[in-house]
Amino acid sequence: MKSKVSSKINLSSMQVIKTLQVLMQGNFTMNELVDRLNINEKDVIFNNSVVSKYINTCRYCGIEIPKIQNKYFVASMPFGLDLTSNDIDLLEKLQNVVKQNMLKKYCKIFDDFINKVNKYSNKKIIRVDKNNYKMTLEIFENAVCEHRKVKFLYKNGAEYICSPIKIVENGNKVFFNVSYKNKDKLINSERVSGLSVLSEKFFPRISNVTVTYKMKNVLAKRYALRENEKILQRFENGDIVISNNGEVKEILFSRLFRYDDLCEILTPKQYREEFKNILDNTLSNYGVD
Amino acid sequence: MFKIAQKNELNQVSLTGMRALLLVGLLIQAPRTLEEIREVFILYNIMEENHSNDIIRIDLNTLRRMGCEISKATAKTGFKYVLTKHPFGLQIDENDILVLKKAYKFIKEKEDIKTLLEFDNLFKKIAEYVMDNNIKEQLYGISFTKEFPMDLINTLLNDCKQKNILNIVYQKPTENFESYKKIIAQNLVLKNDKLYLYCYDFERKDSIILNVKRIKQIISRIIGSGDNQFKTTKIKFHLKSFGVLELNEEEKIVESNENGYIIEAEYHNDFVAMQRVLSFGKDCTVIEPLNFKDKIIQKLKSMRKIYEE
Repeated sequence: MKSKVSSKINLSSMQVIKTLQVLMQGNFTMNELVDRLNINEKDVIFNNSVVSKYINTCRYCGIEIPKIQNKYFVASMPFGLDLTSNDIDLLEKLQNVVKQNMLKKYCKIFDDFINKVNKYSNKKIIRVDKNNYKMTLEIFENAVCEHRKVKFLYKNGAEYICSPIKIVENGNKVFFNVSYKNKDKLINSERVSGLSVLSEKFFPRISNVTVTYKMKNVLAKRYALRENEKILQRFENGDIVISNNGEVKEILFSRLFRYDDLCEILTPKQYREEFKNILDNTLSNYGVD
Repeated sequence: MFKIAQKNELNQVSLTGMRALLLVGLLIQAPRTLEEIREVFILYNIMEENHSNDIIRIDLNTLRRMGCEISKATAKTGFKYVLTKHPFGLQIDENDILVLKKAYKFIKEKEDIKTLLEFDNLFKKIAEYVMDNNIKEQLYGISFTKEFPMDLINTLLNDCKQKNILNIVYQKPTENFESYKKIIAQNLVLKNDKLYLYCYDFERKDSIILNVKRIKQIISRIIGSGDNQFKTTKIKFHLKSFGVLELNEEEKIVESNENGYIIEAEYHNDFVAMQRVLSFGKDCTVIEPLNFKDKIIQKLKSMRKIYEE
C-alpha cells in the first residue's frame, strides 16, 4: 500500500501549479497561456475553460492574478515576505539612493527588483519619482563612450567645456570626473544645472595613473587595502609600499592627507610635487613659509 | 497566510489544486508534520475529518514532481517535512545584487549602526525567499555584519546606549600581547568597512577609538555609570570649499561669506579632529583653539619635511 502511495501523483494539482509557474513568467492573454501550457504536452490538456478554472483556484488561495488589457499576470503571492513598515522604509531609502545617485540602467534593475519583491510582499513599496538628475549622468556616460566633449552649465550660470572621463562617487557625493586643459577635475554634480554633448571629439586617455606611496609604522600595520590597491613591497620594520591604480587625484590626496606623516607619495613625481605644493599652501594659510 | 476569497466570488476551483498550493505555502513558512498539515487542510475545508493522510502524501509527491525538494519526515527532522527548494522562490539575480551592493555602499557611509543592522535583517529576510544558494549567500554577504559576531555588536550597542564602563582585553595593532583597558563605551561607528568603538580610556584620561576586531574579551561591565566622563575636541576653522568632502554631523556652519565658511566642530578626540582638518588640505585653516592650531602646524611641517628630504 505504502509503495503505491509513494508513486501516486495528482494530475490536476500538477496542472494548477504549472499554470501558476507560467503566469509567474510574465503577462499573457488566455490564448498565449493555453499555448504555453500545452507546449510540452503530448495531447492538448489545457483549454480556456480549464486554465480559467486553474486561475480561479490560484485566486481562491489568495494569489492576486489581475487581468489587464486581456493579459493575466501574478501581482502578489500570499506566501510571501512579511515586510514590516520599517522594512518598507529601508527599501525606500535604498530606492532613493539608487534614483538620486545611479545611472538609468541601475534604476531599471532596482525597479525590477522592487517589482519582484512586491510580488512576494504583503505590503506595497512606494516608487520615487524620476528626475532629470540621473538623465544627466546618463548623457555624461554616453559622451564618455562616444569620446565627445561636454558642456556643463553651472547653477550660477557659468559654462564649462571639457572631456568627460568617468562618474566618481565619494561618500554620498557624486562627481563628474573630467579633463580640462589636460588636468583632471572633479565637478560636484550638485552644482550642475545642465549638460550637453558637443559634436567635437576628444582622444581618450590610454590608461589610468598609478600612484605609489609608502605607509609607515602603525598605519602600515593596520591599513586595509582598497579594491584598486596592492602591496608592492614590505620592509622588515613593517612599512609597506602600495600601488594605487585609477583613484581620482582629489579624493586620493584628501585621504592621504589624513594619514599625515605616516604616508609618503613616491611616484609619479608630478603627484609628489603637487602634494608638497598643497602642503606649502596649507602652511602659508598659517603664515608659515 | 492565505487570504481566502469568498466562495460565491468564484465560479469553479480545483480543490486538489488548492491543497497543493496551500501545502507549498505552509512548507515555505516552516517545516510541518503530517498532522499539522492535516489540521490546516481541515480548517480550510479542503480535507474532511474522515480522509486518510495518504491524500497529503500524494500531494507531497505531486509537489516533488513539480520541482519541489521536500525531505522525508524522519526522527532527524522531528517528523516534519522540510521544503529545501521550490519553483516559487524570489527570482533575484546577479544584477539585483550588484545594485543592492552599490546602494548599500552609499547607505553605509551615512547611517548609524542601528539602521545598518536593520538593513542586515531585511537582507536576511529577503534571502529566506531566494532559492538560489549562491544568490542567497550574496544577499547575506552584502551587510557589514558578516565580518563581525552579531552578539558582540548588539552587546556593544547596548553598552554605548547605557554608557557602560567596561573592562576589556584588547590587542593593540603594534603589539603582539594583549592588554587590559578600562573604558566607557560611547559610540559604535563603521568606517571603511571597519567597526570602531568610540570610548573614553581611564588610563589615558582621553577619548580613544578601538578597532572592535581587536577587542578580545569583555571581562566585566558596570552599568550606566560613565555618563559625565567624556572629553571631546572642539575646534573652529575656516573652510574655503568642501572639495570632495561634505559636512559631517559633528560640524556646523556658523558663518558663510564669499570667502567660504566658518565652521564649529566637536570631534571625538584630537586625532579625529586632526585627520578631518588635514583631509581638507589647503582649503582649511584652523582658527581656534591655539594649542590645536599649533599641533596642526607642527604636523604639516613634519609632513612637508618628508618631501624635502
